[in-house]
Amino acid sequence: MHKGSVVAALLCLVLAVSSACCGEVTIKDDLGREVKINSPSERVVFMMENALKTYYAVGDPQNIVALKDDKWMRKLLEDIFPVIDPDFEKKLTVSVTGGSVDLESLAKANPDLVVLWATTPDDANIKAIEETLGVPVFAIFVRSIDDVIHQVDTMGVISDRMERAAEVKGIMHDYMNITTNVTSSIPESERPKVYWMWTDVLGTAGVKSGINDLIELAGGVNVMKFSENETAMMMEHPVVNLEMLIKLNPDVIYMWYNENLDPEDILTGEDFKGWKDINAVKNGRVYEIRNPYLFDAFSPRMPLALLHVAMDLHPDRFKDVDMNKTIDDFHVEMWGVHYPSMEKA
Amino acid sequence: MTVGSQMPYKKYIYIFLLISPLIAMVLSLLIGKFAIAPGDVIRLVIFNLLAAETSYPGVYHTVIFEVRLPRIFLGMLVGASLSVAGAAFQGIFRNPLVSPYILGLSSGAAFGAALALAVAPQFPVQISALFFSLVAVGFAYYIATSRGSTPIISLLLAGVIVSAVFDSLLSIIQMAVNERALQSIVYWLMGSLAAASWSKIYSALPMSLLGCAVIFLLRWRLNVLAMGDEEARSVGMNPELYKAVFVVAASLAASSVVSVVGIIGFVGLVIPHMIRMIFGPDHTHLIPLCITFGAAFMVLVDVIARVGMGFEVPVGVITTLIGAPFFAYLLRSTRSGGWE
Repeated sequence: MHKGSVVAALLCLVLAVSSACCGEVTIKDDLGREVKINSPSERVVFMMENALKTYYAVGDPQNIVALKDDKWMRKLLEDIFPVIDPDFEKKLTVSVTGGSVDLESLAKANPDLVVLWATTPDDANIKAIEETLGVPVFAIFVRSIDDVIHQVDTMGVISDRMERAAEVKGIMHDYMNITTNVTSSIPESERPKVYWMWTDVLGTAGVKSGINDLIELAGGVNVMKFSENETAMMMEHPVVNLEMLIKLNPDVIYMWYNENLDPEDILTGEDFKGWKDINAVKNGRVYEIRNPYLFDAFSPRMPLALLHVAMDLHPDRFKDVDMNKTIDDFHVEMWGVHYPSMEKA
Repeated sequence: MTVGSQMPYKKYIYIFLLISPLIAMVLSLLIGKFAIAPGDVIRLVIFNLLAAETSYPGVYHTVIFEVRLPRIFLGMLVGASLSVAGAAFQGIFRNPLVSPYILGLSSGAAFGAALALAVAPQFPVQISALFFSLVAVGFAYYIATSRGSTPIISLLLAGVIVSAVFDSLLSIIQMAVNERALQSIVYWLMGSLAAASWSKIYSALPMSLLGCAVIFLLRWRLNVLAMGDEEARSVGMNPELYKAVFVVAASLAASSVVSVVGIIGFVGLVIPHMIRMIFGPDHTHLIPLCITFGAAFMVLVDVIARVGMGFEVPVGVITTLIGAPFFAYLLRSTRSGGWE
């Protein structure tokens, strides 16, 4: 657990509970900014999909008035939003052009809170929305698994449903335990060295990243931990070169979902002949996140992503787990929807 | 004109630049993140040439012959192709600010790559980039041609128009895709030799060689074209025909490598200038030296890109950081950059 995240979560709760009786609460967002919001906020605009999933697990769908206009992304989503929220397709949309939120369409939604992704308190969109429209902005900045879980508390405060938030956290922990009850006892010597492959192939996850947490909880060890170069090791998204990767010699290569590349390409492709002496390739241990939305490590579905990775890293230890049933049970408990049939439970 | 006739020491520089790819190749082969002693590298190469068996670990063989060598040869191909294409375009346009990307080639390639990376993954990135880069150049040429004539100024403006259109289309894709796809597009745009492989070299080689060979064989005609259409006609040359031939050849050479490695800037602009500043504007010397020094420059810059820092830096970034100060120095120490 990251100490900073725990302190932030506690502070957030204390601040929220202390003034909950008055309807207006002060919470700290992921960037440490104090934000005054209504609890519950009744006209929320979500400018990011991951946090929306969390909100749908906790809060009242009716309180969402607009969403980011992400048409191409939505086409790719085989998702549960319209099942949870019958008005999902009718929500107003807010476009983002060149990274800037369209203030006019945002104003049209008349929000009392905007939730968006930002990496710095000086983010231009935060300033524009708060200063121009006078609407509070809650900034999401997820860097670790703890941040994903902390997001549930945040949505509890925003929707004034702390009890449900506690339940959701409990569900997440229960499903994480399916994995961690097994992996926590795996000795260091049996933990495979994992190279995480983002879509840029030689781009990977540094040791200070959410993916690093995921690999460790799944019973592996991030191969970047063995990098001689501390700068690269500490970067969130270092780009290695092939010689460095051969030297690190990972036991497993784990690919993020890549539309242009499959594990088979790494194992036998003409363009990957230089990879043939890496243990992961020699032993055929190249895996891929097969569905980036179902196994999204930065959303409440993180426990499923964790189990997915752990089952590939340690197939013998998870041979009794029925993944399809686990996915369905998880969706029923989180959102009251069967998966993949998308029927209401 | 002979090279040695003006200043004797230029003859040695000339010879040095001609053999520079060999020097760069040896140096680059010895340096890498995977530590192999220089003696072992040399012995392995010799044993491999003699088809003799060695007791070295297999991984040594992989690092030298499947990682370093493809990267070196691809770097040479890229450097030579972009430099020659840049020199040809500068000659045709009679303009020192021209790069191989003047007719929208890079914008078309970027759009094609983004399309394949983020929207239509069923199309290979390389083929999509190549197709749209050639479409962009063809479109620019079509816009500029009127009544059988292609005025240089029209061609320049058509290049601006086509680049703007493809840049806008690229922006639409960038705005609409998710963060991970956007990251892939941005990395591709920066240009990198990190994914070099023999198969990529083989796929780029035929078009690149064809384009470079045509420019090399017809290089003296660039001297005539560079004097203007009227002068070309006065010596019995059809300027429209040769302009088209050089545009097609330069575009083939540049497109074939850009589609493989992404957009690497500055090389196509700066290498011809560097050579011209030392040896003057005669294309009979300029073109062969652009091939050799362009190849060597790219390989040396890539050494810095792969081992200079703790992580892989896109080579396009380094070409600019290294090339710009050297170019500035030459510019200050020669008159009008060798154009006079």
